[in-house]
Amino acid sequence: MAANISGVFTESLRNAILQSKVLIVGAGGIGCEILKNLVMTGFVNIEIIDLDTIDVSNLNRQFLFQKKHVGKSKADVARETALTFNPDAKIVHYHDSITTSDYGVSFFKKFTLVMNALDNRAARNHVNRMCLAADVPLIESGTAGYEGQVELIKKGLSQCYECTPKAAQKTFPGCTIRNTPSEPIHCIVWAKHLFNQLFGEEDPDQDVSPDTADPEATDSAGQGALNSESNEKGNVDRISTRGWAQSCNYDSEKLFTKLFHDDIKYLLSMDNLWKKRRPPIPLSWKELPDGVPGCSKEVNEPGLKDQQRWSISKCGTVFAESVKSLSSNLKALQEKSPNNHLVWDKDDQNSMDFVAACANIRAYIFGIPQKTRFDIKSMAGNIIPAIATTNAIVAGLVVLHAFRILENNLKACKSVYLRSKMNHRNQLLVPEKNVNPPNPKCYVCAPTPQAVLAIDTSKTTIKELDEVVLKNRLNMIAPDVMIDGTGNVVISSEEGETEDNNNKFLEELGIKDGTILKVDDFHQNYSLTVTIVYRERPSLKGDSLDFVILAKEQDLKPKEEDLVKPSTSNGQVETSDDNVMIVETETSSDVTKKRKIEASEENSSKKRKLEINDMDDDISIIENDINNDIDKVKSNFKAQNIEEKDDDCLIVHDDNKSIVATSQ
Amino acid sequence: MVEDKNQNVELTDHEAELYDRQIRLWGLESQKRLRAAKILIIGLNGYGAEIAKNIILAGVKAVTFLDHRNVAVEDWCSQFLAPKESLGKNRAEASVPRAQNLNSMVDVKADTSNVDDKPDTYFSEFNVVCATQCTIMQIKRINEACRKQNVKFFAGDVWGLLGYTFADLMTHEYVEDVVQTKKIQISDSGEPVQKEKFENIVVTEKHTETFVPFKSILNVTKSSLPKDSEVYYMILILHNYREKYGKDPLPSERGSENLKAEADIIIKKYDLEDKIDHLIESDLYAQISPVCAIVGGIMGQEIIKAVSQKGTPHNNLFTFNPDTLCGKILRLGH
Repeated sequence: MAANISGVFTESLRNAILQSKVLIVGAGGIGCEILKNLVMTGFVNIEIIDLDTIDVSNLNRQFLFQKKHVGKSKADVARETALTFNPDAKIVHYHDSITTSDYGVSFFKKFTLVMNALDNRAARNHVNRMCLAADVPLIESGTAGYEGQVELIKKGLSQCYECTPKAAQKTFPGCTIRNTPSEPIHCIVWAKHLFNQLFGEEDPDQDVSPDTADPEATDSAGQGALNSESNEKGNVDRISTRGWAQSCNYDSEKLFTKLFHDDIKYLLSMDNLWKKRRPPIPLSWKELPDGVPGCSKEVNEPGLKDQQRWSISKCGTVFAESVKSLSSNLKALQEKSPNNHLVWDKDDQNSMDFVAACANIRAYIFGIPQKTRFDIKSMAGNIIPAIATTNAIVAGLVVLHAFRILENNLKACKSVYLRSKMNHRNQLLVPEKNVNPPNPKCYVCAPTPQAVLAIDTSKTTIKELDEVVLKNRLNMIAPDVMIDGTGNVVISSEEGETEDNNNKFLEELGIKDGTILKVDDFHQNYSLTVTIVYRERPSLKGDSLDFVILAKEQDLKPKEEDLVKPSTSNGQVETSDDNVMIVETETSSDVTKKRKIEASEENSSKKRKLEINDMDDDISIIENDINNDIDKVKSNFKAQNIEEKDDDCLIVHDDNKSIVATSQ
Repeated sequence: MVEDKNQNVELTDHEAELYDRQIRLWGLESQKRLRAAKILIIGLNGYGAEIAKNIILAGVKAVTFLDHRNVAVEDWCSQFLAPKESLGKNRAEASVPRAQNLNSMVDVKADTSNVDDKPDTYFSEFNVVCATQCTIMQIKRINEACRKQNVKFFAGDVWGLLGYTFADLMTHEYVEDVVQTKKIQISDSGEPVQKEKFENIVVTEKHTETFVPFKSILNVTKSSLPKDSEVYYMILILHNYREKYGKDPLPSERGSENLKAEADIIIKKYDLEDKIDHLIESDLYAQISPVCAIVGGIMGQEIIKAVSQKGTPHNNLFTFNPDTLCGKILRLGH
C-alpha cells in the first residue's frame, strides 16, 4: 500500500492518509472505484454506505461484484472484495440509506472528509447539507456516459451542491399525456400511468382516461354534451379504472377495447382537439395490423431480441400476456393484504412488456413512431448509460482531491470535468481556474438562508406545503414550520402534533402574502426563512401544485405576468436570470408518490424495491450544449493565444428521476 | 473500411443483460466488435492492471498478459489484480485469477516470457497491443512490428502521480455519431399557430485518421509543443532514466541525483529554466492508484474506441498533469 512504503508520498501526506477517517456514500460505479483507490493507497479507516443490492446490469462496471453476488448488499460485497486487496484496511459498511436519522451531524463529524458516489439528487442534497452542518469537506462527483465531474464542497470556501440551480424535472402537461400525445415519450408516460391505474398504487394525478377539462376541448360547442356523457361512460371517473378492470376480471380484450377503441372514440368526439392535429384512429382487437412498420412482414431483424420492432398485432399479444401475468401477480399479493399492489420495475419482464406494448399501441393510434422495447426501457426506466472507464477516471480524480484536502490545500481542489471529446485547447480533463466561491444568496449555505415562496395560499394545504414544497422540492427530511411573529407552529416533525392542520389551506392558518415562515430541519441542522408571496394557482383541475421559489422577491415581480398565464401545463419552466437562484414550477405528482410509499409501513418489501429502483444507476451530469457553442466561438477567435480564460465548465446536474419523473 | 468483418453472431440474452448499460452508450455494433477483439497487454503493473480491468469488463474476446517480471513491493501501491501474498511470483500469472473474475466470458491468459524473446510475428496474433513499462528501444521495436502486421499499437506509463497514453493506429477508419439540431414546425396543444421546435437527430459520420509511430514523437522541437507541455518533458526525462538504468527510480531513491541529472539534460535542451522543477520534486515513485485509474481509464477507452471503430481516437499523446489535474491531448510528430 502506497502509504506504507516510505518515499512514495511526502511524509506529511503519508501520515495524513494513515490517520484519516473517510466516508464513501454509495458503493456503485464510482464508489467501487474510489474504494479500490483508497485501500491500494493505504487509507485505513474507511466507511461505506449503500442501500442497494447488486444487479446483473451493474457488473459491467461495478467491478468489486461478480455474478455470484447478485442480490447481495453492495456495501457488504464491496467491503469484502476490497479487503482482499488490502487485508489491513478497516472498512465499516452500512446496508442502509444515508438519509435516515441514524446518520446525523455527529455521524458526519467523525470523518476527515466525505466522498459522494451517488446517483440521485435527493441524496446529494441531503449529504450536502449534512456536510455543511458538520463542516466536513465533501467531494461531490458524478458521471453520465463518457462525461463526468468532480468538485469540492466546503462550507464558506466553495459553492455547495445547491448554490446553482439544477435542471428542472421534465414533466408533461396532463392533457398532452391523456388527450394529445405527439411524441413517443408521451405514450410511454401514459403507459406507466396505466400500469399504476391497473396494478400499482392508484394516483389521481396519473389518470389515463380522456381529460374533459382540456382548455382546448372546453372551447368546443359540444362541451356540455361531453360533460354530461363523461360520468356514465366512466371515462373521467377516477376510481373506476381499477374497479372496472377488476369487475371484468382483467379480460384483456375488454381492457384493450376500452383503452384503445372506446376512449379513443371519445377523444375523437372532442373535435376541437383535432382541428390542427392528425386525429387518432381507434383500434379493433379483432383486426390488429400484423406488419412491422418499415418492413413488409414480421421478420427477425439482426440485433438483440429487445431491439426488434413489434407489429401492432404482436403488441396485442404481448399486452394480453402481460395483463394476464400482472393481474394474477396482483391477485396473489392482494390475497395476503387487500392494500397490496404491484410496483413498476423496468427489470421486471411483465411490467416492462406491458408498458412497451401499451406505449406502442397508443403511438400507432396517434401516428407517432413506435419504439423498440430496448428504447422504451431506456426512456421509461430513465436509464443513464454507464461505463467502467468514465467511473474509473472520475473516482481517480476524487481521490486526488482527497489528497489535497489531507494536505490542507483545499484551494487546489478545483472542479474538474471529464469531457467526451477534447475542447479547443486540446483538454479532455478540464480543471477550473479556481474553486468556485459560494453563492451568497444560496438558500442552503448562505449564513442566514432565505427564500421567497410564491404560492396560492388560498388553495394550497398545509400537507402540500409539507410534502411537495418542503420535502420534495427543498429536500427536507423532517421540517418544523413556525409563523414568524405569532410563534404559531403549523407543521411539526413530531408525530401527532399538527396533523389537524394537514387539510387546512395556508390562509386558514394565517399564512398569506407577506407572511414569514421559520422552517427548521433539526436532522439536517438546517434553518430557512421563507417569505410567502401570493400567487394565483393557474391549474384548472387543480390536481397539481404550482409554486415558485426564488432568492429575492424582486425576481418574481417582472415575471408575474408570465407566471399567472392560465394554462393546464404544470411543467412550465421559467428561464433563470443571474439574480434568480431557482425558478421552476413543479408538479406534485412524482416524488410525493415515493414519500407516500415510504411512509406506509405495511409493506416493507415494496419500499425496498422502490428505493432500489431509485438508486439503480450511476449518474448525474449532462454537459450543457452551450459548452460546445462556446468552444466553437472561442476557437473561431483563436483564443489559445490570448490570456487563458475559464471556459466550458457549465454543467447542469441531471437526475435519475428527471426525465420521466411523473411516476415511479 | 469500417465494414462488418465480425461474424454475424448475435449477442446472447446474458450478454445483452450484462452489457446493457454500455450497449445503450456505444451501440450493439461496437459490442460485437469488442467481442471479437484479442488484446495483448505487456507489463502488468498498477497501470496495466487498470487497463486490463477496463477492457475485460467491456467484454473483449481475449486478453493476454505478457510479463516476465515478478510482483514487487511497489506493486502493492496500485496492482490490485495481484494478491499481496503473490510477492515474488510472476506478475502476469498472479494477475489472472482476479482478472478472470471480472468477466467469465473473456479468455484471460498469462505469458511469462520476456517481450524481447518474442518474434515479431507474435504480435500478429492480436488486434491490439498495449505496452507499458517498456524501454524506448522496446517500444520502437514492438511499434514497428505492429505496423508491419497491421496491429493497432498503444504505449503508456505511469510514474508516481503522472502518466501518459500513446496511440499508433496507422490509418484508422471509424464512425462517429454526431448530434445535429434540426428545426421543425409543430403545432402545439393550445397554440393556434405553428411554432418552431428544435429536434436533435443523430447522424453517423465516417472519418479517417492517420497516425505516426512512437519514434516520431520523441525529442520533438520546442516550437512544435504547446506552452503547457510540462508532462511531455517529464516523459522524456523518465524514459531516458529507464533507458539508462534499466528501471524506474524507486521510492527509496526519492530526490536522487541520477534523476536530477537526466532532468538537467532535458531542461537545458528545451531551455525550461525552473518550469518543471515542481514536477521533478513531486511524487514520481511507484504508481499511485488513483492516477493509474485515471490514465488507465483513458487508455481503456481508447482501446475500446480503436476496436469498435467508433469515436474519434486521441491522436496521439494524452498526458495527465497531477499538479493542474489537466488531461491534455498533444498531436506530435506529424
